[in-house]
Amino acid sequence: MDSLLVIAIIIVMLIMLLVSGLYIHSVLLASGIIGLILLEGFGILPGLIGKEPFNRVASYTLTTIPLFVLMAQFILQSGLVQDIFYMVHKVSKGKNSLLGVLTLFIGGMLGAVSGSGTATSASLGQVAIPELRRHGYSAPLAGAIAAAGGSLSGIIPPSIILILYGVATETPVGKLFIGAFIPGILTMVVFIFVMLVLFQMERKKRSIAAVNPVSMQMESSINPYQDKNDIETAATVSEHKQETISALRLVTVSIIGVLIMAVIFGGIYSGLFTPTEAGAVGSLVGLIAALILGKVNVQFFKSSLTETVKLTGMVMIIMIGAQIFGKFVSLSLLPRKLIVMLEPIMDSPALVLIAISVVLFIMFMFVEGAAVILMSIPVLLPIITELQVDILWFGVFVAVICTIGLLTPPVGLSVYAVAGVSGIGSGPIFKVGMIFAIVAMIIVCGLMIVFPQLATWLPNSMS
Amino acid sequence: EDTDKAYGESETIKLRAATGLSTQHAWWANSMVPWMERVEELTDGQVVFESFTGGELVSVPDEADAVLDGTVDVALVLPIYEPDQYPMAEVTMLPLSHSDTFIASNAWKKLLESDVELADGKTYSEMQFSGFKVFPVSTTQEYSISTTGKEFITANDIKGTSLRTPSRIHEVYAGEAGINSVTMPAVEMYDALSRGTFDGSFYSIADWSGYGFQDLFKYTITGVNFGHFNAFIGMSKEKWESLPEHVQQAMTQANEEIFTPGAQEWVDRSEKAITANKEIGGQFVDFSTLNADVQEHFHKGMEGTWKNYAELLESNGLPGDKLVVLWRDILIEEGGEVPESIMNLE
Amino acid sequence: MEGVLKAYKVFQYLKVIGVWVSGISVLVMMFFISYDVFVRNVFSGSIRGGFEIVQNYLMPLVVFPSLAYVYSSGVLPKMDLIMDKLGARMKKGLIFMMLLIELFILALIVQFSWEFAMNGLERKTAFPAAGTMYPLYPLFFMIPIAFAMIFIENIFILIRNLKEEKASLLVIDKSGELEGF
Ligand code: NA
Ligand code: NA
Repeated sequence: MDSLLVIAIIIVMLIMLLVSGLYIHSVLLASGIIGLILLEGFGILPGLIGKEPFNRVASYTLTTIPLFVLMAQFILQSGLVQDIFYMVHKVSKGKNSLLGVLTLFIGGMLGAVSGSGTATSASLGQVAIPELRRHGYSAPLAGAIAAAGGSLSGIIPPSIILILYGVATETPVGKLFIGAFIPGILTMVVFIFVMLVLFQMERKKRSIAAVNPVSMQMESSINPYQDKNDIETAATVSEHKQETISALRLVTVSIIGVLIMAVIFGGIYSGLFTPTEAGAVGSLVGLIAALILGKVNVQFFKSSLTETVKLTGMVMIIMIGAQIFGKFVSLSLLPRKLIVMLEPIMDSPALVLIAISVVLFIMFMFVEGAAVILMSIPVLLPIITELQVDILWFGVFVAVICTIGLLTPPVGLSVYAVAGVSGIGSGPIFKVGMIFAIVAMIIVCGLMIVFPQLATWLPNSMS
Repeated sequence: EDTDKAYGESETIKLRAATGLSTQHAWWANSMVPWMERVEELTDGQVVFESFTGGELVSVPDEADAVLDGTVDVALVLPIYEPDQYPMAEVTMLPLSHSDTFIASNAWKKLLESDVELADGKTYSEMQFSGFKVFPVSTTQEYSISTTGKEFITANDIKGTSLRTPSRIHEVYAGEAGINSVTMPAVEMYDALSRGTFDGSFYSIADWSGYGFQDLFKYTITGVNFGHFNAFIGMSKEKWESLPEHVQQAMTQANEEIFTPGAQEWVDRSEKAITANKEIGGQFVDFSTLNADVQEHFHKGMEGTWKNYAELLESNGLPGDKLVVLWRDILIEEGGEVPESIMNLE
Repeated sequence: MEGVLKAYKVFQYLKVIGVWVSGISVLVMMFFISYDVFVRNVFSGSIRGGFEIVQNYLMPLVVFPSLAYVYSSGVLPKMDLIMDKLGARMKKGLIFMMLLIELFILALIVQFSWEFAMNGLERKTAFPAAGTMYPLYPLFFMIPIAFAMIFIENIFILIRNLKEEKASLLVIDKSGELEGF
């Protein structure tokens, strides 16, 4: 069948299946497989489908997914993060906005030890959402904060996306990592500002809603996932007396928290282990911390392992779906067709870059990040080279767009991860997550186009 | 598309070509792409290639399977990555005392085209690549040992050094020479090496630029050789036989034409990498200037590796002894050298 | 429905065994990699072939055995935009359509991953690590088994929706009941 027609059919089908609520991995599998059949017939399937699930999973680099989730589970089950959140709450003297800032900041810190935005989002979702909810954040906002904080792992080095880009374009991965440092921090800062504004807006809405019960009812009917007790919680949280934690425990917790960070960062940057291996070492340290805090028992293992297995399975089955869908996209030559449409504007590099960003943004909306890198770079690289755009800069730029793509529907792995662990619907999280995504897209990408030094200055001055 | 159907004399032939390597890899950019372009030229555009790179359709090392099961029509096949399926392909990775890209490339081509019967009246290609139409391409430049600073002053410095081993033969060699082998994906290497997670790697200088190693390695031993990685452009026999004769001729002619320039590219890349590496203070030490005990230690490892590899094949019912002798003889014919004791193998 | 639920209980046990296999594999992976890091830094050695063993054995063991459990645990994401706004009949129709699509693609995946596994068995697929070959093909069989179990799960969901009034994509709507192992 004509490939343009097939592309059209599959895009329509993909959107319909997504909207009707089919599991996201099934949507990708169904669209990918049916697309392949329409393009090439059944004959193409055995070679592409049979081995894909195994090939996708059997990867050393992807051990980061179960192991970083396991680390988060151990830390979570040991009560460590709850205690830290409690401490910050105390210090902030009821300024609940600080908790959101802290979540995003912890997201950034976790980003420096994790290469996968999805895994970090899942972990962060589990630890942070209950605390955020207790301190007056709506479910969708809490979910979006966790997803945004977790997505930072995609850009703050180490980053799987940058590694893949480095391989595809033969750019030194170490340099890419250094180059991504400033834009990564910048993205985090932008997320923090967006979060502060959204939180204030929510608070205002609430106080109006408290006066006007009709509008409050409307809001909760629009958003069935929002806990009806939100308003009450928000109003009473400042007086809400949590169980008092002894000073000794707070000191222990702080020391252990600092130690975990020190082991992981110190280990990676001193060369004791690679960022991938940090997942395993981090889990072991988390386990030891839980032992010291006296939280290890059968239930501890049961819940941490079940959760780890669930999240890993979720991420991997979506990756398998994305992989097979990616094969269809690649065989349909869709990326190349999109690129051909750019030709008329080749003499104005800024326009081309904006067009490429938009195309990538759209692709990252639909397809898993690694798959986008793998299928678009071979097509984009010649154009980038011809435009004389710095390849390192472009890699960092792509990683920023990819990170943002983790927050956008219909395929936003960070949001799905958070939705999966928190039980909050992905639809409402996407609504808020999109705001984070769009603001970061405009500010960070805009600044990077105007001041390319944001990405190139550090690597150039260091070597 | 029906693979079994023979093409008409003037009908346009669209072939799907793939590699898991990046577009800039020398094998793709300087062997396969020129080959495809030349075939399109020679057939006046009757043959058209549609290519998929960087693993977007087929990843390393699945190219061979993809060609055989019809997912793609032609691909760069890297048989060394599948020692379970092509155990005799690793023979070019055996360590040598002297050779270069041209010597090894010509020897690899000769081995593929050799009519010496190794077992059951079958030649090398018939035993290993019977399902393929093979178009030989150059091997890589020789593998060296490079470290991020560790130097080999005495034989004791070699023992316990941690090096990344890119193939099974290197693992065997590392075992023989008392070197700790580290396995990790090439993409993680830069990061791990720059932080001192391990000491260095077996690697070919020409391939450094792919991962930025010219900015990283400080000490490289040259003038000794830890094998050559090999590859070929592969097509299934079925597909090959379905092509009109003049197209087959064009493909063969194009293959002859691109073979040597493809090998030259490795040499050019190596020179560039050496210049860049010297600029940041990289040292290149010739093997013959090393201490005698260091030289001897490396040589001993070589002999052990040849014997070990032959035995390994024999124990799997393959003609290991005959194969290593055939490879040695072809290599010597092309101007290569091996340690004395390997010359004595019969 | 009673008999079906009984059969489903047995099926649950199988899934829970899978969770244990996966969960223990995660722990093994953690200790294995940590030990490798320890040995490398203290004795500057390293587990011979450790990398390949983690990648080819442990990763598939972490993911595939528990996949059917993951599928029925309600953790898998979907876009929940319109489902809850539909009337009961529309909702049921939609669920039947989705089940048929699921069954179709699952059947294809089971078939082709089974062929892949049989092909591996025939060729005795193996991977090299530290100079020796380790068999790989036995692990290939986990894929068709995992997806066949998801297929069976979908059959149960189909039966449930045929017999019960209220439409649902889960056999037992409160996934909490599954946690009691
Ligand atoms: Na990161
Ligand atoms: Na997205």
